[in-house]
Amino acid sequence: MLMLTTIHGLMTDDALHERLHGLSHNDAVETIRLERQDMQRHRLRVETDKGTICAIALPRDVSLEDGAILEIDENRAIVVRAIEERWLELVPRDAEAALELGYHAGNLHWRVQFRDGRLAVALEGPEQAYLDRLTMFFDDGRAQRADG
Amino acid sequence: MNNKPASAARVGIGGPVGSGKTALVEQVIPRFARRGTRLAVITNDLVTKEDAERLKRSGLIDPERVVAVEAGACPHTVIREDPTLNLDAAELLELKFAPLDLVLLESGGDNLASTFSLELVDYWMFVIDVAGGGDIPRKRGPGVLQSDLLIINKSDLAPHVGVDLDLMIAEAEAVRGGKPVIVTNCHTGEGVDAIIDHVARDVLFDS
Repeated sequence: MLMLTTIHGLMTDDALHERLHGLSHNDAVETIRLERQDMQRHRLRVETDKGTICAIALPRDVSLEDGAILEIDENRAIVVRAIEERWLELVPRDAEAALELGYHAGNLHWRVQFRDGRLAVALEGPEQAYLDRLTMFFDDGRAQRADG
Repeated sequence: MNNKPASAARVGIGGPVGSGKTALVEQVIPRFARRGTRLAVITNDLVTKEDAERLKRSGLIDPERVVAVEAGACPHTVIREDPTLNLDAAELLELKFAPLDLVLLESGGDNLASTFSLELVDYWMFVIDVAGGGDIPRKRGPGVLQSDLLIINKSDLAPHVGVDLDLMIAEAEAVRGGKPVIVTNCHTGEGVDAIIDHVARDVLFDS
């Protein structure tokens, strides 16, 4: 297991970008893909796309971010990439339905964004688990999926 | 491994009132001690220090290594919305008892919606119990769905409360999408070793 305790910089840093580019020609850049919620962690066990088992253990005042370089030397680099977040967009029928939908989402502690009259819910688990909690809104037409 | 973490791992233990969180802490303390894990504990209660006092009196751990946080409101507020009190308590324990390997943070009794901030803990488990109802996994509360490890405690009570334990386990596994479920009896310690294995592997990195 490879212990990773430092962020050396970001992929976009000029000096590191050159080194990464060189390593990539030798297929020596490994990627760790993380969900948004896992990016908040300071300590976790993960596997790179090339199968290296890593133990990430960062200081408490250091945070993971997209493009963070956790390892870089002449032989290899290991980079963190954030998996694109999934959202469920909901369209309320009217103002009354919007109030109820907003209350419901808050009551379930969902993380949301407001997008031009739509309520976007961050999917931090299986989409069906969220849809199941919205059945009564879909059934009586108080809300519908933006892509439905 | 070529270097060491700068700080102790932080592991949360949440779950409804009476599910067996403090009993679980009492079971894991001697197991971690035997494997040489240097440990401290933070308990969260609404307006008392009941759980901390119970652990201090247990004789299982140096009482100085147990700190109580009084939430003053629903306990989930201090483990999720604003975990400042717990962050401060963890930092103080790490300074006072350096080097620590692990800080356990037990949440006060809360409902099925309780979750931990991942800025506070590195890993968290959610404890439910058979006597609370075999239908708890089907209710798909955030604690059941999002925790890194789900523990179904009081397995011995299943026949006495009319719960089909095998069905409860199967439904828990189905709603968690592959994340682990462990069945325990924290009265006897049955199943607790498997919890230690998960923590050792996933956040202590020594197995």
